[in-house]
Amino acid sequence: MYRPSSLLSNPPNQDFSLRGGSDEDNLDNSLEAERRYFKLRPGFATSDQTMELCNPYHEDRNVSQDERDFNPSSVTFEWLRQAESASLYGGSEDYTRPVLHHVRSWGREVVREKPFSVIHEFDAWRKNPELAEAVAAIKALTAVIKRSGASTMMGLEVELKEASDALKAWDESSISLSAGCDLFMRYVTRTSAIEYEDIEAGKARLIERGEKFGDISQKARRTIAELGKDFIVNGTTVLTHGYSRVVIALLKLAASEGKDFNVVCTEGRPDNTGAEMAKELVPAGIPVTLVLDAGVAYMMETIDMVLVGADGVVESGGIINMLGTYQTALIARSLKKPVYVAAESYKFARLFPLDQRDMSPAPRHVDFLVPLPQTVRVENSARDYTPPQYLTLLFTDLGILTPSAVSDELIQLYL
Amino acid sequence: MVAAMPDYQAAVDDFVTKLRRRQVEGSFNTAKHTAELLRQVVSHQRLPHVGQAAVLIDVVKTVGLRMIAANPIELAVGNIVRRVLHIIREEDVSLTSSALPGVSVESDDDDSDSKSSYSAAAVAAANRSALRAPSLHNLLESIPDPVKAPVAPAVSVADSDSKRSGDRNSVSWKLKHNVIEGITELLQDIDDYHTQVAEQAIEHIHQNEVILTLGRSRSLLKFLLEAKKKRSFQVVIAEGAPRYQGHTLAKELAEKGLQTTVITDSAVFAMISRVNMVIVGAHAVMANGGVLAPVGMHMIALAARRHAAPFVVLAGVHKLCPQYPHNPYTLLNDMKSPAEVVEFGELPECLDVESGDHTTYVVNPTFDYIPPELVSLFITDAGGHNPSYVYRLITEYYSPEDYVLQ
Repeated sequence: MYRPSSLLSNPPNQDFSLRGGSDEDNLDNSLEAERRYFKLRPGFATSDQTMELCNPYHEDRNVSQDERDFNPSSVTFEWLRQAESASLYGGSEDYTRPVLHHVRSWGREVVREKPFSVIHEFDAWRKNPELAEAVAAIKALTAVIKRSGASTMMGLEVELKEASDALKAWDESSISLSAGCDLFMRYVTRTSAIEYEDIEAGKARLIERGEKFGDISQKARRTIAELGKDFIVNGTTVLTHGYSRVVIALLKLAASEGKDFNVVCTEGRPDNTGAEMAKELVPAGIPVTLVLDAGVAYMMETIDMVLVGADGVVESGGIINMLGTYQTALIARSLKKPVYVAAESYKFARLFPLDQRDMSPAPRHVDFLVPLPQTVRVENSARDYTPPQYLTLLFTDLGILTPSAVSDELIQLYL
Repeated sequence: MVAAMPDYQAAVDDFVTKLRRRQVEGSFNTAKHTAELLRQVVSHQRLPHVGQAAVLIDVVKTVGLRMIAANPIELAVGNIVRRVLHIIREEDVSLTSSALPGVSVESDDDDSDSKSSYSAAAVAAANRSALRAPSLHNLLESIPDPVKAPVAPAVSVADSDSKRSGDRNSVSWKLKHNVIEGITELLQDIDDYHTQVAEQAIEHIHQNEVILTLGRSRSLLKFLLEAKKKRSFQVVIAEGAPRYQGHTLAKELAEKGLQTTVITDSAVFAMISRVNMVIVGAHAVMANGGVLAPVGMHMIALAARRHAAPFVVLAGVHKLCPQYPHNPYTLLNDMKSPAEVVEFGELPECLDVESGDHTTYVVNPTFDYIPPELVSLFITDAGGHNPSYVYRLITEYYSPEDYVLQ
């Protein structure tokens, strides 16, 4: 899967959130307002000139190459996040204690506890590199329940729905995020259907369930690794595309059992996923070969199996993953190599794309390293859809599934 | 527990020896033997008042693992063991849910392993049950729970809990009885499966068709004879070297008046353009829809795919294995005596080991693996199905905890 690249290391000392008169009104909206203002997408650089909303093609055309990326005056999403959190939490790692800050209220400065925002909570959980987006979302929603002041289950449901919608709107292109939110909302609805004598017992039950879900999801990688490692035997050559922690866990587990195999990683422009994978796999003693994205067909005759992760698994049994997965699967099919997908169950989404453009767009900034003529358009989608007929098996924490079994499992999950 | 019951022990030992020596072969025979043995085991087992299902499952697993280890390639043994385990779990669920009226109970929670080592498949099964609709049991019990310590129930179920334990005493014999009934039904299904499969013959074989097959299959014989009652067609039989069972099938069909042609295996590609349909039997069907069939079948499947002839596989449900083939071309094969291919003493120079220079290896594999893309249809005693539907049949007949037996 693609990851937003962090472009700057030192956030400037600007204090974004404490400005103007009574800040209590727009405190929570500061981050959202900045995002809307600067049309933020993960990894997407904008410049000071383009302040109004415009589409990605337009921006790519108008902003010259050298002004991008490393211009300190350009505001990127990553930078904003760091600035926001730096100002909020004052450098401390304890995200659970209430954040105190000075606000102006009725002309006087007072110290107040910052009103809880699910986005900030989600952001805090997201910082953990081991945690997937969907798990962070579920933990954030569990925190919403903890701090909820609702007196009925219905009220709690409404609050959670609002929080879930806010999270989804915050990053519309992330499938696992919305799938995780939907999954948790489903539990809430089912649980609230069972009458509880008091709201506290119901809340306690939901919190326990949410945390248990988080535990299952964290163990999911281990389960998938155990299930999939038998498919790697001595002498196998595995091709992988994109950066997936599940795939890394699987390969490391197989290597720790003393199996002799080697891995071919695609370069993975523009995120350098190949180099990232190599950095993880080499310490485990796995020989890694790097190849250009265009070299997959060239290598395919030496490959025994293709193993990829997934951003999302859709109802048809196909997957949505980093750009280039579809063509890898096509080549593998053509040369009769099996394609295996390692994906956790919370990535199962209620989507059914009919073609490549049938998904919510996820544009990604691509650096072509040479100046382009003005009228050249850039097709910069970050991901593609691989139909189920090109996939052999899916390794999930619900067991090994054929693509046709996915929709059955989805129905079970969402029943 | 097993040593205390000598009644069936001798029978189990005898069966295990026969399996190891390949004296009992073929999915039909082994499946029947296994089911009968397990029924004996269950009926002789003395059960405590509480936790009966767990005890039964334990015993069946122990005996089953011995039988599977004797001949790992005979997948029907493992299939029947898993079917019996599934029957035990289902009967337990239905008994407990009838004791607790109006509550839907998840079967997986009562009978989870008491052992703390969890295979990935067991965790996957626990995840499946955890992610299903939260039932009363799911809400109260943590997943996975190695030691089945009873969680203090919430207020609403306290009284039904005591009622349940009271009911357990009165239905203590019911579980065993129901399980034995279930196994008897299973045995009847295995006995009958030829007839069930053959009933569907009329739908698939049309007038004046040419059918191709390889070797001999009992279900195929009945299938063709059933179709012969209402249709006239011809059969081309590839002889199936080195066992030449195609000859036997040809004789049987010719006796009944069916027009048959016998060809060598190498002539299949030459004849395939004149064939309308290929119908074969199978040794086992894997969870992804792949087929283990007598050697030579993969070639027939490729020929059928090349010439767009439907490749139909006849398989009873007892041949359905819930495991995925990790490395099917090498792992799931049995090597038989090379004397069937080349007689001992026929090639003295080549089989001379001492010289070291001239060594010819003679290999006699028994099975072929056919990937699911080459199969058009499975005709089982549960109807006709696509290879992509096999996962559904598996969830019907097996419990996820039993996919990997330990």
